[in-house]
Amino acid sequence: MADLGRQRARQGPLNAVPVAIFLLIGFAAPLLGVIIFSFMPERTFSLWQAPGLGNYATIFTGTSYLSLLWSLGLAAVTVCLLAVICYPIAYGLARVFGRWSTLLTLLFTIPLFVSENVRLYGWILFFIKNGVMLGTLKSLFGIEMESWLFTEGMIVLGMVYVYLPFMLFPMTLGVSMVPQETRDAAFDLGASKWQVFREVDLPLAMPGIMIGFLLSFVLAVGALVEAKVLGGQRVIPIVHDIELAFTYAQNWPLGSAMAVLLMVVVATFVLLVLRRFDLDTILGRR
Amino acid sequence: MSPAERAQRWRSALLWAWALAVVVFMYLPALSLLLASSTSSRYFIFPITKWGFDWWQKTFNSIEIHILFKTSVSIALIVTVIAVTIAFFGALAFARYEWKGRSIYQKIVLLPIFFPQSVLGLALLLWFNTIGLELSWKSAVFAHLVWIVPVVTLVISIQVYSFDPALEEAAYDLGASRWQVLKEVTLPVLFPGLFSGALFAFLLSWGNFPLSLFTTGADTTVPEYLYSKMVAGYTPGVPVLGTVSTMIAAVLFLGGYGIIVLRRRARS
Amino acid sequence: MTTRSPVLELRGITKTFGTFTAVHGIDLTIAEGEFFTIVGPSGSGKTTMLRMLAGLESPSAGDILLRGQRVNDLPANKRPTCMVFQSLALFPHRTVGQNIEFPLKIRDVPAAERKARALQLMAQLRLPESYYGKNVTKCSGGERQRVALARALAYNPDILFFDEPLSAIDYKLRKTLEKELKDIHRETGKTFVYITHSLEEAMVMSDRIGVMRLGHMVQVGTPNEIYTAPNSKFVSEFIGDVNIMPVRLNGGRLVSDELGAEFLPPAVPTGFSNGHLVVRPESLRVLDRRDEAENVLTGTLYNEYALGSRIQYQVRVGERVFIAERLRQQALTGRLDTEVLVGWNARDSILVSD
Repeated sequence: MADLGRQRARQGPLNAVPVAIFLLIGFAAPLLGVIIFSFMPERTFSLWQAPGLGNYATIFTGTSYLSLLWSLGLAAVTVCLLAVICYPIAYGLARVFGRWSTLLTLLFTIPLFVSENVRLYGWILFFIKNGVMLGTLKSLFGIEMESWLFTEGMIVLGMVYVYLPFMLFPMTLGVSMVPQETRDAAFDLGASKWQVFREVDLPLAMPGIMIGFLLSFVLAVGALVEAKVLGGQRVIPIVHDIELAFTYAQNWPLGSAMAVLLMVVVATFVLLVLRRFDLDTILGRR
Repeated sequence: MSPAERAQRWRSALLWAWALAVVVFMYLPALSLLLASSTSSRYFIFPITKWGFDWWQKTFNSIEIHILFKTSVSIALIVTVIAVTIAFFGALAFARYEWKGRSIYQKIVLLPIFFPQSVLGLALLLWFNTIGLELSWKSAVFAHLVWIVPVVTLVISIQVYSFDPALEEAAYDLGASRWQVLKEVTLPVLFPGLFSGALFAFLLSWGNFPLSLFTTGADTTVPEYLYSKMVAGYTPGVPVLGTVSTMIAAVLFLGGYGIIVLRRRARS
Repeated sequence: MTTRSPVLELRGITKTFGTFTAVHGIDLTIAEGEFFTIVGPSGSGKTTMLRMLAGLESPSAGDILLRGQRVNDLPANKRPTCMVFQSLALFPHRTVGQNIEFPLKIRDVPAAERKARALQLMAQLRLPESYYGKNVTKCSGGERQRVALARALAYNPDILFFDEPLSAIDYKLRKTLEKELKDIHRETGKTFVYITHSLEEAMVMSDRIGVMRLGHMVQVGTPNEIYTAPNSKFVSEFIGDVNIMPVRLNGGRLVSDELGAEFLPPAVPTGFSNGHLVVRPESLRVLDRRDEAENVLTGTLYNEYALGSRIQYQVRVGERVFIAERLRQQALTGRLDTEVLVGWNARDSILVSD
């Protein structure tokens, strides 16, 4: 048994090996490749050229930095809307809905397993002229309206729709981390409902809420299909630019540089937030 | 009823109303797809005048669609097997053992989840090209794994967190070998977590579009095919296939969850 | 105690959850400055009862009167009462000082005044001044207990409620804290209403005790009354190890059909015919001679346990196991599995109905 303890000390790193090796080959290496490519001369397909900063200069002299700003702006709006939409549901799932919470959670999960483009296409059928919504309005009430498709608002709707579970689930986890007795205690000590929310609920649920913000923001910054399918290319998000550079323009170094820029922005947010939280407590270590 | 209770009733009624409204919102697209697939006319005009399932028949008789399903299912199955195997050990390192690099390891595992999938797909395309790997459904399996292994690690970890290490120690103490402990104690206790992990792996791979788009080469998955059709102009085949893939996801997921619940009930 | 004015009156308090009735029509009056403890096993409705008194639940029927005013619909944050919770419910994101100051901050008391009051309470509860800026999650169990009490006192309530706050604390510390709590009760002169599942804890601290069972208040009385005159089998068993046997009254004698024996009864309640006879272990002695007690049984010494100053013996009589005690100095040696005599005097036993 004495030797069991020594074995256990090695068990952690040993079990981490498969995942670590896999992520090294499948995640770190490709990213490194992208980073190196971003310093290569324009339009090359080889990694063995003299490095330079030309591609980064191109981004800021061209329009791509505008795309990045659009992506960040749309993501910010999406996250704010999601926070307002999801908090009541998270609260309900954690405290009010009781045994129905499981069913609701399952219902919110299923759409995650259907590819985004299919689901967004459903929205087109809903909003298009003579589609589900306008067709109903016309036949039942005789109201004829222009379709709302291909507007910035529709892109936001699509993003809110696609990223909702990524805000909702961490938030619910956060809200359920607030002990009921602690809320009761604050109320009993004279706090109003609003004060209980501000002084107890919000700070104690913060880890979950922040993870929700982070996850939905990061994914929304990388959104592509929403603008393509629902926005009718009125807005070009940064990932669209990256895709164009890789495919249509066949300019991998420029695409790589844009990808690196996006990664830096995303990584900054991720590191800022993740550094502050202990994952063990959030995920429910006893 | 006291005023406090009445206020509470109102509050829960409002919360319910809001939650149900959002559930409806989440399913409006699926409903629209279902409606659009149930007409026998070539174009979708609502309200539907000619109901019918002609397009379902046409879609299911197409050889092309059969190949698509075969590709998508093969990818998802292989991804499931590999992801659960790797993630099982990954989850033990994530949640079970106390070790020096654990906190950093946990954060690194999460990184791919926090990464825009389209960009990941492009980065993998570039990487496969650099190492001279030919693109096919096999490279798509690899691409899916990069994103799915971390998700499954997380799903299994949640189960591992509630695993009492004393169970393993007790088994050792009662004379079990390392392999027997794994087979008789660890795996059965962690089974619900492994099962959910497998479910997630299969379904996430089944529904993936951004990673497949750049990494399947000449092969095509169901979501990719749908995308190519929907940008090419309207055909009722798209709503039909969309509805089918939604239903498959829903049935598998609810069925899988049902199995977990039944198993838990049978135990208690 | 009867001269004190009532501070809290309950009239027919009932609480139902769906079809389940947690609390059945309880009437109770608690006097100003009293230390009143509600005891009961889990599921007896005592926590529900306390939550209604604190305003965290509202009664389904009946009235709660605070100093004569009906407060049924007054929510917890408006009631001049305050609760110390089972989990203590300290705010983990706040320091010791911030926790204690919370109710004052809610009332917009100026910062300097808040701090002065917090430090004063900390001194009263023997918390070092240096703890003011300490994170509550870093405090020990006993310290957290004191912080929770200080926070409740900072609210300056008329009545303090306690929901088993000592249940998670180890025996030795619990004993210390019980005494401290009683001291604080004396110092502040406030009304304390305490709930616990441990009658032993209730005995140490309380002026009066109410015993609850399945939503009913089965007996209310001083610790002495509860101990010496339990009014039911349930209350007598709840106090701790007791010897209890079914008996019937027959011509002035008690008959135990099971043991085939007759006993001299204690004072018989009017109208008693069937019930249980209760003999506490300290009243049931292992005898040397048959004439040492009024009621005597013969049994086999089955096991013995040393309890500090006393030794407890398990004696088997027929199918029944009796617990008897002896002082350490008179310990029996080498008598395991042999025949022994146990006995008690009639006045040391209690008759209870079911």
